Amino acid sequence: MAKPTVASDWLGGCAGCHMSILDIDERIVQVVELVDLRATPITDLKEPDKAGVTVGILEGGITNTYNEEVAKRMRDRCQILVALGDCAVFGGIPAMRNFFTIEDALKRAYVDTPSTDDSGKIPSNPELAKMTIVRPVHEIVKVDVFVPGCPPDADIIFYVLAELAQGRIPKLENNNLMWN
Amino acid sequence: MAKITIDGKTIEVENGTTVLNAARQLEIDIPTLCDHPELTPYGGCRLCLVEVEGARTLQPSCTLPATDGMVVKTDTEKIHEARKFVLSMIFSERNHFCPYCQVSGGDCELQNAAYDEDMTHWPIQPNWQPFPVDASHPFIILEHNRCILCRRCVRACGELVGNFTLGFEERGADSTLVADLGLPLGESSCIGCGTCVQVCPTGSLIDRWSAYQGKEVEVDSTKTICMGCSIGCGIDVLTRDNRLIRIEGDWEAEINGGLLCDIGRFHPMVEERERLLTPMIKADGKLKAATWEDALKAAADMVSANKGGLTGVVSTRASMEALGAFKALCEANGAQTMLTTEDCQAVSAIYQQAGSDSSPSEGGISDLMDADCYLTFGEDITKDHQVLSFFAKRRIPEGAQLIQISAIPSGLDNFATVSLMVADDQLDKFMVDLTALVEEKSADVEKTASKYHLDISELQSVVDALQAQQKTAFVFGSRKDFSDSAAVVTAAKGLAQSANATLVTTKGNINSLGAAALGYAGAGEVKGTLAVMLLADEELSQCIEQKFEKADMRIVFSSYVSSLTAGADVIFPVMNWLEQDGHFINFDGHILTQKAALEAPGQVLSNQEAIEKLVSALDVKNQMDWEKEVKAFASPVKIA
Repeated sequence: MAKPTVASDWLGGCAGCHMSILDIDERIVQVVELVDLRATPITDLKEPDKAGVTVGILEGGITNTYNEEVAKRMRDRCQILVALGDCAVFGGIPAMRNFFTIEDALKRAYVDTPSTDDSGKIPSNPELAKMTIVRPVHEIVKVDVFVPGCPPDADIIFYVLAELAQGRIPKLENNNLMWN
Repeated sequence: MAKITIDGKTIEVENGTTVLNAARQLEIDIPTLCDHPELTPYGGCRLCLVEVEGARTLQPSCTLPATDGMVVKTDTEKIHEARKFVLSMIFSERNHFCPYCQVSGGDCELQNAAYDEDMTHWPIQPNWQPFPVDASHPFIILEHNRCILCRRCVRACGELVGNFTLGFEERGADSTLVADLGLPLGESSCIGCGTCVQVCPTGSLIDRWSAYQGKEVEVDSTKTICMGCSIGCGIDVLTRDNRLIRIEGDWEAEINGGLLCDIGRFHPMVEERERLLTPMIKADGKLKAATWEDALKAAADMVSANKGGLTGVVSTRASMEALGAFKALCEANGAQTMLTTEDCQAVSAIYQQAGSDSSPSEGGISDLMDADCYLTFGEDITKDHQVLSFFAKRRIPEGAQLIQISAIPSGLDNFATVSLMVADDQLDKFMVDLTALVEEKSADVEKTASKYHLDISELQSVVDALQAQQKTAFVFGSRKDFSDSAAVVTAAKGLAQSANATLVTTKGNINSLGAAALGYAGAGEVKGTLAVMLLADEELSQCIEQKFEKADMRIVFSSYVSSLTAGADVIFPVMNWLEQDGHFINFDGHILTQKAALEAPGQVLSNQEAIEKLVSALDVKNQMDWEKEVKAFASPVKIA
């Protein structure tokens, strides 16, 4: 039987959850023995295979129209979708901007910050994705496995990957269930 | 009695017992949020829903009384679904993002409840309505965005503390916790006791001092007693890496039942006095650090060489063991005077008069729990001995009368049924006249009222209340000087007797009664040329410091630098209250145990050890048995 394939991508997050994947250290060898690690944001191949992968992992929340596209693409191309980390699961820290208007958030980021001089202006290139209210991944596409944590502990990630590699759906409970 | 079956286990409970409490007796766990064991059931959060056989819908177990033959299930699919739904609704209401919350990771009852239901995510998204943060209070931050509207704080403020500061305004999703009629907490009638913080299930009410310094699983907890006043409230001292993190009320403590005031809970967090870390000897007019050996020798030489008389002074924040050892030192060296730092005429008068009583005449905490009428006089018990005022204030909604006699405006003004303004120097005479009215030896309320410039109807209502033969408690805030303190004490006793009331006096510090039992006088003058002072960690007022500065030579045991240590000849550094073990006798005669929660810095010894070192340097034996001395003492209140 062919090894299960795994791809990951990141949305509105801080890359911390991917760093936490790396924190499984030498156990990554055990993981790649069991799975075929395909596209990730930190490897050469960036987009999940068109032919599809077994497991898709998404870090970060949906903060704009581009994140929506990436999330939908991953959903289309994977059998099991994992939402990794508090941003993917809840919206996380980027979701704090939902308590303000998008205009206020942009103004704060590009104009009002103390480190910005008078030339600060809000980018308006039409090529840029349109910002939206920040949502968890499951508001856009169906999520099969939720792995909360900010970031999820490396041990929890290893447990999740090990279960998935062996064809099981991991169950996050007891000490493996941590929201922060 | 009602026989109830929960999850197949049957128990017989008293009528009126809730299903939740019956389940607790059976050790069956039902999750709760708005419920708190110390508070009246509220039925607000719906997390405790259970299935009751024959009932159409799920029922909240916290408010449902157990009835005979009731069959309850707490662990079905339907219930777990309901709990998840309830939690989802709560999470959707405000900002419950965990990563940057103070209580996340063990201390949040909301998060724990979600974990217990294996909730990996929120099915319903938050509505993103921002709420304000109220950081106006010196000790407490009110973070409305974390509030789940359980109203534990509101109930604690009213039912336990009797302060009624907190309440709710608006309805539904706009419901907001408010202080008074919408004032910032720091400007409201809040007394900063922090009980609301202790009962808050989420990170909505935050203690500024302990925030982000350690979760419950990361801190050590030591059950000991508060030294803030003579009540001796049970506390839980939370420490981490030998650092004080937080003080909480001990719900199991007999004295305070978990309540604390701002002085007990928050004031120790802001200790800013400079610590004494080594013994010191004065040489050429300057204090210089010395070894214990040298300092003990210098002190022993001073005591032996002193021919002009010796005065022993102790702080009543020192334990019975330390006071006993100090007494042995005084007696062996011919001390003419043994004083405490209390310097209070009324407290001294209470102890003196108890000597002529045939048996203890005062009551205690238990008499304050269920009185129908409270009469307070002397000091303002909302400032000192605050927890006693909680016991009186919280009885008011149940119809208890609170009568206050005070010369000045007090914290009880807004609570008292009647406030009588009587000058301190007239208090004894007024109480004698009031006694005559209560005993109907004089029927002229009008004359008495005009004599003291009081309202006739108010005075009449006081006389009526005292004549009503209800359960009456007198709280005499006795840490005060009157022009004739002895007369005030006598008059108070007389009035209490005529009204068939229980008199409770607050006395002085935590070990005021204990010091009196060992023969220390509360008020008095320094005599002789040498004073040996066990100041412990007490912060003395300037006028008391000045009084003790009169001694020519001074040997001082102290935790902190003060003007008394600055002028001392020999200083011994001692532990503060959090660092040592000991026994104390509180205002109503409870013998309380203090347990060390922190380790003292290197060279610092406990009060008892330090005194004993000097005792042996003087070739004296400490044969003082404080328990024996206490038994022989004519105490104003039964000591046990």
